[in-house]
Amino acid sequence: MRPLIDIAIAIVIAAGIGLSTAWLAVERGNIFGLVRIGDWTASPEAGSPGADPYAVARLARTGELPLGAGEGLAFTVSVDADGDPLAGNCTYHIDGQTPAARLWTLTAYDQDGRLMANAAQRQGFHSREILRRTDGSFDIVVSPDVQPGNWLPIAGAERFKLVLRLYDTPLTTGTPADSTMPDVRREQCR
Amino acid sequence: MNRTLLYVIGGLMLAGIIHITSVLMVPLFATADAWSQMRQFGRDGAFHVLPQARPGAEPLDGLDPRMLYSVCRFSLADGPLQISAALPDSFWSIAVFDRRGRNAYSLNDRAAERSELDLVIITPVQMAQLRQDPPEALETAIVVELPLDTGFALIRVFVSDDTMLPRARAALDSAECSNAI
Repeated sequence: MRPLIDIAIAIVIAAGIGLSTAWLAVERGNIFGLVRIGDWTASPEAGSPGADPYAVARLARTGELPLGAGEGLAFTVSVDADGDPLAGNCTYHIDGQTPAARLWTLTAYDQDGRLMANAAQRQGFHSREILRRTDGSFDIVVSPDVQPGNWLPIAGAERFKLVLRLYDTPLTTGTPADSTMPDVRREQCR
Repeated sequence: MNRTLLYVIGGLMLAGIIHITSVLMVPLFATADAWSQMRQFGRDGAFHVLPQARPGAEPLDGLDPRMLYSVCRFSLADGPLQISAALPDSFWSIAVFDRRGRNAYSLNDRAAERSELDLVIITPVQMAQLRQDPPEALETAIVVELPLDTGFALIRVFVSDDTMLPRARAALDSAECSNAI
């Protein structure tokens, strides 16, 4: 009787470990093939026929459609330069240059990846409408308060993230060593 | 002691097997995957323009609010699929996914080197049959061999501002997706 009980216990524990690690791995997603530039991350593999099983499982659960390798690459940032999570009550400067791309869009999402409503009806910017400095760099101000220049309003979110989608970029065929992403600098908080 | 070690090793191996199987099974049982969600937009075998993503009204997850999308669920069981559309020259791209949401093929307007999208998706078996007597449609189109039975195509068109919306919508309304060949 004793060995049988031991085996049963071992099986239950094994099932628990197997299922919980599988759930964690799929929920966290993008364990493999993550590309990191500064604090920005992207998973180019997710949009390719060679996507790993974890990425495929995560996409199946969310219904999200990744950008294909022939379309572009989406980078996400959810922390500032100091490593603190992006908070909806603070003002941030997204300052610098993007890697080469024919077109890019920067969009703000809440923690769950949903668009956020605001009075200004603006969820993001694209590369053909922002104000730039003479050297081509830009400064987008993400803030709950009205700002001069490229103001991306956020309202009512405790935490948020920014997605920079680079369309038609050479990054999809490999990461050049010199590619830079804009810095995310926190200014003041309310 | 030995027996305990045996249980631990056996348990870990079993946990590994359960982990791998459940990850692989997730796509088979997912009910909220892109394919299932697309049923709401209309019948298979035709493109449907999605409403623009707005806060609180996002037709699918993770869409770019600055793009207008059109989707077509298709089957290659009745023959190769022809996708055609006259699209604006700002920026557009098309992605083809399999039933499980894996990206099988993608292309943007510059790579296509033309503004008229003309794409034929064909299985290797159908291609082998058609090689004997290739129809005219195959000569001008971009022909992509994919081992799919069902899947969906997603076209995205860049909308720089709201004044461009009617043009983008009209272009996507013209998109066709049929087993005509």
